[in-house]
Amino acid sequence: MSYAAAPVPVRLPIWRARFVLFAFVSAFAVLLGRSLWLQAVQTGFLQERGEARYSRVLEVPATRGRILDRRGDALAISTPVKSIWAIPEDLKATAAQLRQLGQLLGVEPRELERRLTGTSRDFVYLKRQIPPETAARVAELGIPGLYQQREFRRYYPGGETMAHVVGFTGVDDIGQEGIELAFQASLAGASGSRRVIKDRLGHVVEDIEAIRAAQDGKDLRLALDSKLQSLAFTALKHAVETHKAKGGALVALDTRTGEVLALANVPSYNPNNRARLTGAQLRNRVITDLFEPGSTLKPFTVALALDLGQVTPETVIQTAPGRLTIARHTIHDAHAGGAMSVAQVIQKSSNVGAAKIALSLPREEMRENFRRVGFGAPPQLGFPGEAAGKVREARTWRPIEQATMAYGHGISVSLIQLARAYTAFARDGELLPLSLVRTDMPVAGRQVLSAETARAMRAMLEAATQPGGTAPRARVMGWRVAGKTGTAHKLENGGYASHKYIASFVGFAPASDPRLVIAVMIDEPSAGQYYGGAVAAPVFAQVMQGALRLMNVPHDAPLTPIELPGEGEEAREST
Amino acid sequence: MASYVFAQNVPAAEYDRSLAWAALALAALGAVMVYSASISTAEASRFSGNNPAYYLARHGLFLGLALGAAIGVFLVPVRVWQHAAPWLFLGCIALLALVLVPGVGREVNGARRWISLLVISFQPSEAMKLAAVLYAADYTVRKHAVMKRFRKGLLPMLGVMLVVSWLLLREPDFGALVVIAVTAFGVLFLGGMNGRHFVALVSMLAVGFAGLVLSSPYRLQRIFGFMDPWSDPYGKGYQLSHALIAFGRGEWLGVGLGASVEKLSYLPEAHTDFLLAVIAEELGFAGIAVVIALFAWIVLRAFAIGRQAALRERHFPALAAQGIAIWLGFQAFINMGVNMGLLPTKGLTLPLMSFGGSGLVVNCVAIAILIRIDWENRQLARGLPA
Repeated sequence: MSYAAAPVPVRLPIWRARFVLFAFVSAFAVLLGRSLWLQAVQTGFLQERGEARYSRVLEVPATRGRILDRRGDALAISTPVKSIWAIPEDLKATAAQLRQLGQLLGVEPRELERRLTGTSRDFVYLKRQIPPETAARVAELGIPGLYQQREFRRYYPGGETMAHVVGFTGVDDIGQEGIELAFQASLAGASGSRRVIKDRLGHVVEDIEAIRAAQDGKDLRLALDSKLQSLAFTALKHAVETHKAKGGALVALDTRTGEVLALANVPSYNPNNRARLTGAQLRNRVITDLFEPGSTLKPFTVALALDLGQVTPETVIQTAPGRLTIARHTIHDAHAGGAMSVAQVIQKSSNVGAAKIALSLPREEMRENFRRVGFGAPPQLGFPGEAAGKVREARTWRPIEQATMAYGHGISVSLIQLARAYTAFARDGELLPLSLVRTDMPVAGRQVLSAETARAMRAMLEAATQPGGTAPRARVMGWRVAGKTGTAHKLENGGYASHKYIASFVGFAPASDPRLVIAVMIDEPSAGQYYGGAVAAPVFAQVMQGALRLMNVPHDAPLTPIELPGEGEEAREST
Repeated sequence: MASYVFAQNVPAAEYDRSLAWAALALAALGAVMVYSASISTAEASRFSGNNPAYYLARHGLFLGLALGAAIGVFLVPVRVWQHAAPWLFLGCIALLALVLVPGVGREVNGARRWISLLVISFQPSEAMKLAAVLYAADYTVRKHAVMKRFRKGLLPMLGVMLVVSWLLLREPDFGALVVIAVTAFGVLFLGGMNGRHFVALVSMLAVGFAGLVLSSPYRLQRIFGFMDPWSDPYGKGYQLSHALIAFGRGEWLGVGLGASVEKLSYLPEAHTDFLLAVIAEELGFAGIAVVIALFAWIVLRAFAIGRQAALRERHFPALAAQGIAIWLGFQAFINMGVNMGLLPTKGLTLPLMSFGGSGLVVNCVAIAILIRIDWENRQLARGLPA
């Protein structure tokens, strides 16, 4: 080794290299230590911070409970569907793909284009709630930027028949009407939640833990019998069409359990397709509509008179000349009768007779009687929009009002209140609590009449369906029926419309041991006939017959064909 | 005595296998981790055509290029580098100037650092790192006689470094400036520069950097972001806080390859500057320890090779080898320190591992030069011509 070559020998100070190397080794050791600190000591804190960034609590939707009829047939079920949405900015589709997509979704390609381009939003629904098979075919198109979301759609197999009872849910699966609304909480259940890790674009990449399991909604079994319901709806619809009426309503009650076996309204709607829905279609006339019932209220006045011992069924009332004038107002009978018994007042539906009986009663007692049988208070079904009706304070009643109230004017009730009130006659004076939900348990009611009075009323009401009564068309072959017609002028602009009527019939069967109460109401029959006995009673008969058969109720009358009265042979009433 | 030492140290292998394997291991692990870290970014971005392998394909291409370049460079005698060093340095200065010419330099994220070469783009500051090492080594050897003097020894170097610094700050590429300055003066320090000058220079640089940092709000922000990332974890501390979370999630053995959550669009630059954080999350402390150990090994080997060369009076190779050690070691240290929240965010990649074509090629070339120096050492030890 020679140092002579260079005038000043090159000398690389080795201690400096060692110093630098030492510095490096120390620096790497510091890194190792820091890494250890972060990865072995501080992990808890750091992971907590991390979870705050990307762990999210997801809602796990609960499946909505089904609504079933009393036999277990489905009236409302949730079916899985898909909603198709897109991030417009990311969506890349060829014209052909867009055309196919449009075909599958049933949306014009031009409309698709408009939704995708004419917006600055980064989330656009292209179509909500399509069947899973269609969604699968949409997925097969493989268009980037197009996404699907799992949802449930409520399907109503009963369609328009059950619409008013079952109601429906909105697009977000929350009850909007009917039972769906009334039992929202128990049907909906409780959604659960789980903690997941999401990437920054919102995709779930890891499931950490379930926080709360979803509690599916409970199935709800209604008292409704779908066979009877469908029979009732068909009969009612037919009657409304035949008589060119504005609408109609029917309710059938089980007199042992207080269950609502059928509840039909016309016009109805298809809950599966609610486009162009009108208010008239939505109305549940049975429960939410009030009307002046007319003669169907007479039995309550008579029953009170019997209860108070003012009259017996045989007491004779003079109804001639078919008119009664009280303080400038005159009450008319449709057919002037002469002296008739109290039973005949019911059978023939004499307004004058009913008014005279009413005027013999204290008005406070009369009002109290109406209240006792359930008028003026909601029937407490738990159904949305139950009407209470109105029974005015007794001290405001003028004599003419007391007289007209005897035959159902100046008082407003709902059809279901009326049907319920008749359970008192059917059940020896007990007024039954009602239930829309299946109970299948005999129920005890509140005693509102004496049993003897109820029995006496049953006999009178049965007579009303016999030849010579107002409702021979209410009869059913094989069973004895009892009931009362009503033909009331409609209220319009504060007065009674002269040619607009509400025809009704409320009755029960078998008369020997009643099992069902059915109330029928036809709104504005305008095809000529408008008497309750002619318009509403046949619907009652048809539905009652079907119901008695469905329920296997033993016959209490011979199976001989019923002779319907000829023209002009049946009694008519004017209210 | 010297020949006795040589005779004892005749190595069995023709080249430093452990160094080559360490570098290859880092490059291979880097490729895997770049792929893992970039999948979701690539998939989510329209820029990459939603192709999850977009970055992997490019990284693979660069890696191939880098290996080819390395093999080519291995065939070049070290003295050629010594002769070429001033010209390489000048050429790089010219390129650094060219980058600043509008229309030639490509601007990305507000920094003008790239020159487009048809399909790929080239980053002159990466080449400058190598050129600076070679130049500083050559300079030190050439000026050895006057090294202790300020005017003749230090001032010329100071002058050219000021030019380079100015060019780099115009881009701006602060990270590269730090690495180049530290490497160049590190080589001078190892080469026997005046100790008092060195201390004065370090003090001056410290003051200078402080001035630069304080004069520019964005640098200031970067400085204070790392002090406490949790004070503003969604603003200034966003990137670092996510890097630290990745470390915390990794624990001892990691969450498993491919299972990182941070890379899912949370951690920006996961496949470049913050690749280490993804390694930390997926491979845990074990993965980090391996990476640190491999870098430490490369630095140790490079210093040893330099020492071997110095013992043979091969001063340029000795300084070049140790300069490369300083460069790669320092850059790796800074990058890892940044990832762990020990140092302010710099914008420096992890050598041999991070995504980035120019850096990868130049790093591999540097490793090849190291191996060549060592190979020449071994040839001499065997009494063969180098």
